[in-house]
Amino acid sequence: MAQRSPLHEIHKELGAKFTEFAGFEMPIQYSSIKDEHLTVRKKVGLFDVSHMSNLWITARDAEKLISLTTVEDASRIANGMSQYTELLREDGTIIDDTIFMHLEDKYMMIPNAGMASTVTGWLNVKAEEHDLCAKADNVSKDYVILAIQGPKSGDTLQKLTDVDIKTVKFFGCMYIKIANTDCIISHTGYTGELGYELQITPAKTANHVFKKILDAGKEFEIKPIGLGARDTLRLEKCFILAGNEFEGGKTPLEALLGWTVNWDHEFIGKKAILKQKEQGDFKRLTYLECIDKGIPRHSCKVEKDGKDVGVVSSGTLSPCLSKGIAMAYVHPDFREKDSILDIIIRNNPVKAKVVKPPFVKKDWAENN
Amino acid sequence: MGEEIREGLKYTETHEWLKVEGNKAKVGITDHAQSELTDIVFVELPAIGKEIKKGEELCIVESVKSVSEIYAPVSGKILKVNEKLEDAPETVNQDPYNDGWLIEMEIADKKELDKLLDAESYRKCI
Repeated sequence: MAQRSPLHEIHKELGAKFTEFAGFEMPIQYSSIKDEHLTVRKKVGLFDVSHMSNLWITARDAEKLISLTTVEDASRIANGMSQYTELLREDGTIIDDTIFMHLEDKYMMIPNAGMASTVTGWLNVKAEEHDLCAKADNVSKDYVILAIQGPKSGDTLQKLTDVDIKTVKFFGCMYIKIANTDCIISHTGYTGELGYELQITPAKTANHVFKKILDAGKEFEIKPIGLGARDTLRLEKCFILAGNEFEGGKTPLEALLGWTVNWDHEFIGKKAILKQKEQGDFKRLTYLECIDKGIPRHSCKVEKDGKDVGVVSSGTLSPCLSKGIAMAYVHPDFREKDSILDIIIRNNPVKAKVVKPPFVKKDWAENN
Repeated sequence: MGEEIREGLKYTETHEWLKVEGNKAKVGITDHAQSELTDIVFVELPAIGKEIKKGEELCIVESVKSVSEIYAPVSGKILKVNEKLEDAPETVNQDPYNDGWLIEMEIADKKELDKLLDAESYRKCI
């Protein structure tokens, strides 16, 4: 049976509909995906993302282990800062993308849903192979993760803490009390809006925090948000969903995550992606905005003049733009900005244009 | 949960409704179906004149997250489609039994109607 969030009963009371995602039964929506989506863009929304994983990486060589197993040089990440990165296999393909937080003498890593034991196992094996004194512990079940996202997220949290929320820098992280409950806060998110994420343990204390945040956000018209809107929000900002964009094994260069690679250090998979970088001839992630009516979906083919040039990894109707949008892996010769390609939806070609990310710009809410 | 089931219509277990008038029928999806789908954002309608068999795919209704096939409740020929849905697919959510109708078809074999559910039996089925 699918695992449930410790907050399951609260979600039920709030009228959530549920879906199974990576072995977890989580809210997909409470009111409507569109409504929840626009609430996050314009006001503030509260997500339970406890399906995500929590690992502690500890001991003397914790920093070295992260540098070895991710594309980031962890020595660059100061205490109180967090970083988005990926773990690679030797062949350069991505095992998972993740955020790690540098919290004094240890690191918390947040792999994706269902990835906790894979990543924990990988880290511990690599520590042993490379004689590093470091250890990864899967503590996912001890934590509830909440995300507070939207222009009013800071104002909402400020009502529940004595710490000046503005001192939490972008991608900063720290221990904090929210509604008198111990949390780790980070200025991070998956929506492209101002936002924060909270790691809360023991998990049972999260009920109280969740309710307090909903109360504090009432004056800003806060709403609970499900995984449905989480997906449309991230897609409008061109953020990767591991299960979709890494399906079948993709490298950071293919997934347009080259900007996250710190080339000045040694890491597992570096040789393979250096070689790929030199060769250059590989399909890579491309952002497509539909001109014709139609909603691209995962695994739709992409064609140019009837010739197969790519495949959609994620697609949806953008609630902000009311247009079909897609991320697709497209052959390098056909992905220049403004190129017109066909997305094949149920055997019909739907015209789409290659655009620069993100689909929805930063000032969208101010102008709409 | 306050979902409307209209008397006088025929229903299927797959949540389509039929309003029969002579040898013609209007077809749509039920209030229950639209409420489960929520946020209908795209409707793909069949070509007028198309002959379709009972149980075959009649049209496609897409919500933000999902693609749902709507099946022909009876066999027949497509006479009209609700073109208004091309620009206003949300009408299916707002008014599933009136303005949110999908297609009108000619019924090939009226005996097929006997196998459909009445309001009472459909109520038991959801």
